[in-house]
Amino acid sequence: MKLFSYLKLALAYFKLNVGIHSQYKAAFAWQFLAMVLNNCTWLAFWLIFFERFPIIKGWGRQDILTLWSLTSAGFGLSTACFYNLHNLALLIARGELDVWLTYPRNAVAHLALAKMSPTALGDLCFGYIVYLALVRPDAAHLLAFIVLTINIALVFIGFNLMRGSLGFYFAQAEAISEQWFFAMITFSTYPSCLFEGLVKLILFTLIPAGLVSGLPVEALGMKELRADLIGLSFLGALAILAAGIGIFNFGLRSYQSGNLIEMRN
Amino acid sequence: MFAVQAEKLRKDFLVSSGLFQKSRLVRAVCDIDLHIKEGEAVAFIGPNGAGKSTTIKMLTGILKPSSGKARVLGLDPFRERAKLVRQIGAVFGQRSQLWLHLPARASFDLLGEIYDLNKADFKKQRDMLVDCFDLHAFFDTPVRKLSLGERMRAEIAASLLHKPRLLLLDEPTIGVDVVARMRLRELISKWHKEEGMTIFLTSHDTGDIESVASRLIMINHGRITVDDTIDGLRAAHGQADGLESTICKLFG
Amino acid sequence: MDSNLGCLRRQTLAVAWVAARANLAYPLEVLGRAGFLAVILYIFLRLWQTTYEQSGSDKLAGLSLPDMIWYLSITEAMWMSAPRLSQQIDQDVRSGNLSVLLLRPMAYPLYCLMSNLGERSTRFLFNLLISFSLALLLVGPVKLCAEGAIMTGTAILAAFILDGLAHILIGLTAIYFQDTSGLTLIYTRLTMILGGMLIPIELFPDWLRSLVKFLPFPYMMYEPVKLFARPDWQEYLKVLGGQSLSAIVLTTLVALVYRHALSKISTNGG
Repeated sequence: MKLFSYLKLALAYFKLNVGIHSQYKAAFAWQFLAMVLNNCTWLAFWLIFFERFPIIKGWGRQDILTLWSLTSAGFGLSTACFYNLHNLALLIARGELDVWLTYPRNAVAHLALAKMSPTALGDLCFGYIVYLALVRPDAAHLLAFIVLTINIALVFIGFNLMRGSLGFYFAQAEAISEQWFFAMITFSTYPSCLFEGLVKLILFTLIPAGLVSGLPVEALGMKELRADLIGLSFLGALAILAAGIGIFNFGLRSYQSGNLIEMRN
Repeated sequence: MFAVQAEKLRKDFLVSSGLFQKSRLVRAVCDIDLHIKEGEAVAFIGPNGAGKSTTIKMLTGILKPSSGKARVLGLDPFRERAKLVRQIGAVFGQRSQLWLHLPARASFDLLGEIYDLNKADFKKQRDMLVDCFDLHAFFDTPVRKLSLGERMRAEIAASLLHKPRLLLLDEPTIGVDVVARMRLRELISKWHKEEGMTIFLTSHDTGDIESVASRLIMINHGRITVDDTIDGLRAAHGQADGLESTICKLFG
Repeated sequence: MDSNLGCLRRQTLAVAWVAARANLAYPLEVLGRAGFLAVILYIFLRLWQTTYEQSGSDKLAGLSLPDMIWYLSITEAMWMSAPRLSQQIDQDVRSGNLSVLLLRPMAYPLYCLMSNLGERSTRFLFNLLISFSLALLLVGPVKLCAEGAIMTGTAILAAFILDGLAHILIGLTAIYFQDTSGLTLIYTRLTMILGGMLIPIELFPDWLRSLVKFLPFPYMMYEPVKLFARPDWQEYLKVLGGQSLSAIVLTTLVALVYRHALSKISTNGG
């Protein structure tokens, strides 16, 4: 029942955003292409790399393609739908949570849903196109891919809440939050098999890239799907999400609001 | 029954000027007591930086008080925020709840969903508000194209969609021209009288205060310095001066 | 001519000074850049460490593992010093600012090139300081001879000129296109891959390597940077030759488009 009410809310915000963005079609088309093009560059790098060195620690061309499709699809999904979370530290620093806090239901839900970024759909589409066209999965793998995309989006939501909540504690948290994000995105786009020991531990906690470019890719990479790894990815995503929401709610206690004159746009 | 009750309410802010500088403690609100009966219309005034907005934000659950107790409509604002906000409306003159690039209608529809209002009730209430606040002419125009007066009318109407028992207005007429301001005041006070809603208003405009409120609370340096009825103030400081100069005296 | 050169030097120095101060004015930003470089170089180290181990050879593309990390630390520092030149010029052209800037004693493209060179070199040196410290930390020192440093340094400066010219060309095409940010994106991504920023060109598949030979991109990164590990005067001259040729082509194109832009402005009446 509660879930249903949240879904209804999501739909309402979605409608609203379609209304906003349908006014800027040309800009949208261009930025969409820019995202795709940017990702293609990286794909080109990896194709060149694996042409020269076909297997790295058991990872091959297929795996890196899977990694890039998964990461960009999951990241694209979370950014497209929950764009505000991306700039959370800035919103907090400028005291812009006020309006969301005067609405019923969880403030995180309003905040996350209020702003969508259609251009991030470029990443989402890129992911699916690459996976369908270059990896050519069977039905079971495709289904798992869809599930894992959503899973990765959850990881990013939790992660964005974690890094954004820094805004509650430092005046210039924005810069740190951004660096943290860069680290996450960079680690998420390289094979996680490269990392061991302490760094591996970090990749499942502070910079949860292991839940993006690690477990999910391994789950999909095999001939036989690894249901256990998918389950593990899901649990990991839930943990990160719970941590993110918890940290955000805790941070709200020290929210300072602000008096900048701002309009929503 | 009190709509708003506060005892020794206090808010401290940590203000840091740089990453490596030591932060400083600023007391924005210092142990204030408030008792506002249901159905009252109260003006909450004070110079810039006196702690008005901070108080309102504590009463709406946006800010967590550093110490002290607050009860709004019988609820703890910060802890029971989700429950409380269904019964209060808040208008921040400097913070819009309408979407800039969309017509007010779209924002209203969204608010209907946000407050989970029953479809039929929502439509009835919306149409009534559109009539009452005279929004017909620009209800389907993107908000960014509206004049500030029109926008504030839409803004206040939007905060009444869920029939709040308490309306908090934080400088609702800021930047609005004289004619539109008169209009806003009339609307607010009419709504107050007809619906019996409690109103808590901050404003720098004595006109707003006179036409909407019957009681005046003044806050300065985070403390309450005056709490009296408007009539009482007039009696004490003389009619001839007018409210504006009376307030000036009180500020000083 | 003489006073022109003097003005140029003064201007370059002034711009360089401003840029150097701007580099230090925001310690948090510097920290951020350092953090980013640390992450990316660490990842590269792990990637190439694994690759060297598996390939079983000490050298790939003539570079040892430490060489490779130092190579990448230079290319990253170059990449992160890249200016937003083309978009500035695009703005100048679109806003009509160009006609005001024409009043300056120096030709507009030359002015852009010089101020960009000053700004970029200081930024680059600053990034290099960070990325070299990181490389030192990650793989230790590499043999660096004075010859190699001179060759690489001058060739990188020439590479910046080439890159600057390309940006100016793109920015000036604002007189033909609605939006040049697309061209900028395509161009920068091409330098990233075909310039050998992420992987030395010698490791490219054969067909791509023979294709890239005829393009200016290798002269913007790979060719100059590899000189530091394998200094060789003959090779150096070849690189300079390639860079000069690319510069001549680019300058000609810039001159043509610029002249066209001027005529457009005068016919439009400013």
